[in-house]
Formats: sequence, C-alpha cells, structure tokens
Amino acid sequence: MLKRLKRNINLFSVISVAAALLIILPMLNILIEILTPPSDAWIHIRENLLNTYIINTVIMIAFVAVFSALVGLFSAYIVTRYEFKGRKLLSWFLILPLAMPSYIAAYVYADMVSYTGTLSRFFRMINLPLRINIMNINGAIFIFVLTLFPYVYMLVRSSLSKQSASFSENAKLLGANKFIVFFRVVLPLLRPALVAGTLLVVLETLNDYGVVAYFNVRVFSFAIFNAWFSLGDTVAAIRLSAVLMILVFAIIFIERFLRGKRRYTLHVKGRPIERVPLRGWQKIFFPMFLWGIMAFAFFIPLFQLIYYATMTFSDVFGLEFIFLIINSLTLAISATLITVFIALMLANYNRGVKNQFKTGLLKVTNLGYAIPGAVIAIAVMIFIQDIDRTLYPLYRLINPDSGRLVISSTLAMLTFAFVLRFMAIGYNSIEASYDKIGEKYTEAAYSLKAGKIRTLLSVDLPLIKHGLISASIIVFIDVIKELPLTLILRPTNYNTLASEVFRYAREEMLQESAVPALVLISVGSLAIYFLTHYKKKGVPINVR
Amino acid sequence: MKKLWLFLSVSTFLFVLSACTLGVSSDAESITVFSERHYDTDQVLYDQFEEETGIKVNVIDGDADPLINRLENEGEDTNADVLIIADAGRLHRAKERGVLQPVSSDVLNENIPSNYRDADNYWFGLTMRARVLVYDPNRVDESELSTYEALTEPRFNGEIVTRTSSNIYNQSLMASFIEIMGEELARDFASGLVNNFARRPSGNDRDQAKYVVEGGASVAIMNTYYIGRMMYSSDSFEREVADTVEVFFPNQDTTGTHVNVSAAGVTKHANNKEAAIQFIEFLSSESSQSSFANANYEYPINPSVEAHELLKSWGDFKAQDINLSVLGENSYQATIIMDEVGWE
Repeated sequence: MLKRLKRNINLFSVISVAAALLIILPMLNILIEILTPPSDAWIHIRENLLNTYIINTVIMIAFVAVFSALVGLFSAYIVTRYEFKGRKLLSWFLILPLAMPSYIAAYVYADMVSYTGTLSRFFRMINLPLRINIMNINGAIFIFVLTLFPYVYMLVRSSLSKQSASFSENAKLLGANKFIVFFRVVLPLLRPALVAGTLLVVLETLNDYGVVAYFNVRVFSFAIFNAWFSLGDTVAAIRLSAVLMILVFAIIFIERFLRGKRRYTLHVKGRPIERVPLRGWQKIFFPMFLWGIMAFAFFIPLFQLIYYATMTFSDVFGLEFIFLIINSLTLAISATLITVFIALMLANYNRGVKNQFKTGLLKVTNLGYAIPGAVIAIAVMIFIQDIDRTLYPLYRLINPDSGRLVISSTLAMLTFAFVLRFMAIGYNSIEASYDKIGEKYTEAAYSLKAGKIRTLLSVDLPLIKHGLISASIIVFIDVIKELPLTLILRPTNYNTLASEVFRYAREEMLQESAVPALVLISVGSLAIYFLTHYKKKGVPINVR
Repeated sequence: MKKLWLFLSVSTFLFVLSACTLGVSSDAESITVFSERHYDTDQVLYDQFEEETGIKVNVIDGDADPLINRLENEGEDTNADVLIIADAGRLHRAKERGVLQPVSSDVLNENIPSNYRDADNYWFGLTMRARVLVYDPNRVDESELSTYEALTEPRFNGEIVTRTSSNIYNQSLMASFIEIMGEELARDFASGLVNNFARRPSGNDRDQAKYVVEGGASVAIMNTYYIGRMMYSSDSFEREVADTVEVFFPNQDTTGTHVNVSAAGVTKHANNKEAAIQFIEFLSSESSQSSFANANYEYPINPSVEAHELLKSWGDFKAQDINLSVLGENSYQATIIMDEVGWE
C-alpha cells in the first residue's frame, strides 16, 4: 500500500490534492454552521419570504434558460449553416455581449427607459406614449438572456462546426425533410453543447447580485446578501445558501437523469457541413435577427455609455482612476494565472489510469462554479479568518506587532475565492484540449525516460497551447467583471472597475459610472477578440 | 523566451505599482475614517482639517453594512478611528455590534441638538434630511395632504410610490412610526400604504419623483436631498422633474415630519481617539457645517448655521420629537413588519 502511495506522489497529485482540499474546506466549514440552531431572522424568512424567493428564482431561471437556449441555438445555427454578408464578423461579434457585465446592462437599460432616459425621450419625440418599466423580474430576464446567451452560442457553434455532414446527408438520403433532419438528427447531437451552455447561463444567473439588487427582484442571491448585510444574520444567510445549493444540485441532477444512458461521441472524424446561401425571406430575417440581438445586447448600451462618458470623463479620469485600472488588471491576471495553473495540474492528474478517488476529487473541485458568489464569499471569509486566528501565534513570532487578521486583510482572500469559483471553467477548457490530443505523445515521452515536468513543458504545453490560452482568457474576463465576491472580500480601500461601477450606480451617478464601465467592456472585448482571432500556424482556429 | 521575460517584467512592474496603491501608512499623525459618504467637497474639508491641525485624514469609502461588518471582524486590529454613516439606524447597529465607543465632548454637545446624537454619546449627527411627500401639484392639491397616515385613505388608491422596504431610509421611517404610533398602528399604516401603491416598489428615490412626473403616481415618499440633487443636476430632464414637483412636510400639526441624520462615531479600537474627537468636532463646527451639509443638499445639524437656499425656500418645519437612536432600536421590527405586509 505504501508502495502504491509512493508511486502516486508526484507534482500533479500533490498540487491537485492540496488544491482540492483548499477548495473543499471552506464549503465544509459552512455546512457545519447549518447545524447551529436557527435564528429568529431565519424563522421570519422561512415563514414569510422563503416561498417567494424559491418561486421567483425558479421562474427567473426557467425563462432565462429557455430564451437564452433559443437565442444561442438559432444564432449559432444561422452562423454555421448559412453563408451571407457579414457572417464572419457576426460569428465572433455574437460573443461580445459576454464582455458587457449584466449589471452594467441593467443600469444602462433602466436609465434609458426611465422618464429622463434616451428611449423614453425618443418615444415622446415620435409621439408614442410608451412607458416601459424594466425594473422587475421580466426586465431581469431580458438582461440575463441578452448578456449570457453567448455561453450557449459558443458551445453550440463549436459543436455544430465539428458535426459531421454525413449524419444529415444520410438522413436526407433516407427521405427526411428539412425539419426532420433538424429536429431528429442535428438537434439531438447538439444536446450536450446546448445543455452545457444553458447550465452555464443558469449558474451565472443564480450568481448575479448586481441586476437583481438594482431591479429589486426577490431571488436567492438577493436574499443572501440581505440577510448577511441588512439583517446582520450569518445563520440565516448560510441557511439560504444551503437551500440555493440544493436547488443547483437538483438542476444538475435532473439534467444527468434526463440524459440517461445516452453517450455522445464528439470526436467523429467527418466532413464538416457545407454552408448554403440564404434564400428568400431568410435573406432579410436572419441578418436582421442577428444584428438585432447584437444591437440590444451590446451596441445600444455601449453607445449610451459612450455618450455618458463624454460628459463625465474629465471628472472621473485622474491618477486615482489609473490606479483603479491597474488594481483590476493585476488582480485579474494573478487570479487567472493561479487558476489556470491549478487547473493544469488537475487535468494532468486526471490523465492516465482513472480511479474513483481521482474522479471524485475532480467533481468536487469543479463544484465551485455551481456555488453562488455570495455563498463562496461567506465561506471563504469565515474560513480564512479562522485560519488567521489559529495562526496568530505564528504571526506574533514573525512580527511582534502583528494584528490578528493577516491573510484576511489582503488580496489573497479574494484571489482564493476567485480560484475556487472559476476553477471549473479553466479545467473544462484544458481537459477538452487534453482529450483532443490523447495520451500517446505524453506516454511516448515517458517511455523515453523524460521526467514529468520536462514532458509537461516540452510536449504537452505546446500541444494544448490553444486550450490553455482560451481557458486563461475566459477566466480573465469572468474575474474582471465579477461583482459579488469583489464587493464582499476586497481589502478596504482596494477598488476595482467592477466595484466602482457598482458604487456609482448605487449612488445614482450613472453618467459617472460610464467611464469605468467602458474600460471594463473594452478590456473584455479585447480579450474576446484575441480569443477568437488567435492563429495557429496561420490558420484561425475557430473561424469556420 | 524574450516574450516571457517581457511579460514577467511587465507583471512585476504592475504588481509593484499596485502594491503602492494599496493601503497607506505615514509617520505623521493621522486618522482613518470609514465613511459611507464621500463627496468632492468633503475632501476639501478634510484637507482644511489637516491644514489647521496637522492631522492627516485617510478616507475609506464603502457601503454602511460592509463597513460595519468589517469593523466587527477586524476587532482590535482595525485601523479605523471614525465611522461616518448616512443613517441613524445603522449607527445604532454599529453601536450594538460593539464597534463604537462613547466620547464626551462639550463642543459636540453644544453644536448638536440632543435628539440628533446618541443618548449614550456613541454617535453624533452631522447633517439632517427629512423624508417628505413629493407630489404633482396638477393632480394633488396641497390642501389634500396632511399626514403620512392619511396616505392610506381611499383618495390615494394607486397614487403612492416609494422605494423598496429593503432600503434603510424606509426602514428608519417605519422604525420612527413604531416608536410614535406603536406597533399595531404602524403595521396598519404599512399595510394601508402598500394597498395604495401605484406599482411594486422599484428604483431609487429619484425614480419615484420621475414616476410622479410621468403620471404613474401622484405622491412619492422620498428624502429631501434628492430634490436638491435633481434641481442642480447636469441632466436637464432631471431639473425639469425637480421643477415640476412640490415638496410637502407631513404631520406638521401632529407628530412632525420624519428626519434622519448622517452621523459619525469614534470606533472602539481607534488608534487615535483624541484626533478622532477633534475631527468630529471640526465637522460639527460652524465653519464646516455649511459646506458639509450643502454638499448633499442636507440641513446642517448645527442650529446656528443656515441651510442651503433651496432648503430655506421650503420654510421651517416641525420634525419628529424623538431621539434618533430609536430608529436603530426598532429597525429590525420595522423590517419584519414590512415583510409581513408585503411591502417589497
């Protein structure tokens, strides 16, 4: 037994297990708190508010899931199956809404439809007495669908472009018409991508705080923040988190169940499907649909923000602002590097012989994404404060004047939370790349007596470079626009672009919020541009 | 390889740079202020304080609840000396959580009326605002308005707007009613008010005024300083809204209009207690009050200082005669009541 243990201890396994422990412990810590007796506030919540929270949350994610799946599916389908002017541009443009954080879109749209806003003024100008109230659950659904559908879009597009033409062609040969081909051949094959994408959208929706707080939508994340901050009740906040996590696991479980025993082969080598030109009504409707989505999801809020920024630029921009940008960037970069590094270790650990321990470990580390930011924030804060308090004697040894809260007052806490939360994204992307190259190259290197690290650096990394870079970029975008964790865990006086936008919007200074918002969106857009235009050996990887 | 070096050196540079932006330390005497409000003109005052006393003022912005939570978590290790919050209820919460300490100061007692400072000297009001009725004179005549309670009458069915119950200002409003009317009547009031809502609470105070001008409602319950902000907004439409509506101070013949304060307290583990007290005294003094209050169109707490001309144009008014500590004492109960009657 010891021999087996010795054989298994290597760089990958050690780092993986350590990382997994660090990710699991805060969660366990929080679960233990549930064993404490309920507080008055919790009883009040349970009796008066819990049902509303559950119903509102379920309704919200149901509609968001359905609509974002539809929008993502159709946009991906049109872009991969048809040829038309502007297609290449649209194929990566449609990812840009991800660079627009949901809460920014929420603030901008709320402002635009308010009495003094652009849209209302426009309606009055053309004598259309239309009054839109967006600050409710419908508005929230609208915002989430627009800013999150790219998750579905990206995954479906990727899957569609790899789908072999032979499936649909065989179906046609057997007499199926267009509809049957789509609904019974193409769509079922897309199921994993569609489901994975929609699941991502749902998780992001559950995690959001900015939108639901601003629109006063009574859902779980709102309730958790409220209990934590307004009622000052940790116990209630944790119990709400527990209920939310049960909801999330229920969703994941239902998906697994519905999938049943079906297995999906994704690596079929075949001819990609050829594009056909648009015909008749499609010529007008399809581009209109796609550009319409782009307008609402990205360009309209963007232009409104640019307009506001020109008004307040000189007020907001200064040395402080530059520091703000630097803060955001360094935080995002370090969190990304650490996350991707650990994800790489985990992916390597997962290769070779599979066993239950490994699979279990991986499932657990990827859990972080499903857990809403508010919950993670509470878990991490309590956990690290406990560590700090335990290590206090040690700190004293090093520095007699040391305060108690050493780690908890630094960026380390927030970075740790980011790693916890975004590990899954980094891991999935890297694992997909490893899947593609298989294990033969690595094994060949080992058989030639190359060590693990050398193999990793000289053989594996160059092969998965693209996956590594996409993983980094996606994690980076997510970190830089993240809000709930940042709000709760940042050191006092450490502001990021996201927290500043939130602060301005909260103080009803929307015009001022435009400047940091625009910087955020630009950074995200740039990252997406790099992601989609990264060339490998002169051939763009994704543009098909 | 070269790219790697370039990348590493750039990141190291950025790290060092960001480390410089993190935190402050100085050998000169200084105080750290955790503040919920931070207007540009405040900084001018703080600089003035530094000039007069040589004490540097470090300000850390934040929302009230996270700041209080942080103070609580940090305990003895905090470097905060002063806490400034925009609502008396929350200051009471800070007091209850044990993050403030009482101070005795004749200057503060003189400058600040007793209703607007904590009875145990834990916090001191610095600026005041009233939560009033803002109405459209084309739809409601001034003679129709009298009290908050009257808003629950059938006349106002579908005409009232205010923001969400999770906002501290409404919680404090309810807290004051619990104190004055008792829990039963306060609950009846809340219930009747919700009945007369024109829409589900959404948006902030300014949104309520805008909704009134749009014609969606005729009376909004909001803070006085937002009218000031809109009146002098850089947005011409906001100015138009402020010009259209009128302000009414309810309960003048009965219990008085609800008021609230922004206030400051000295933290329990302040490193520089004397300087902290000096700072708060400075803010309450005649020379600072005008600027400090006018920054946000609020009433100065110091009775010998005149208010902004806009506020003066509304005339004097009678405020609720309660010590504002009760706003905090009753706030939990207020939240429960509002949840129970369905005030979202």
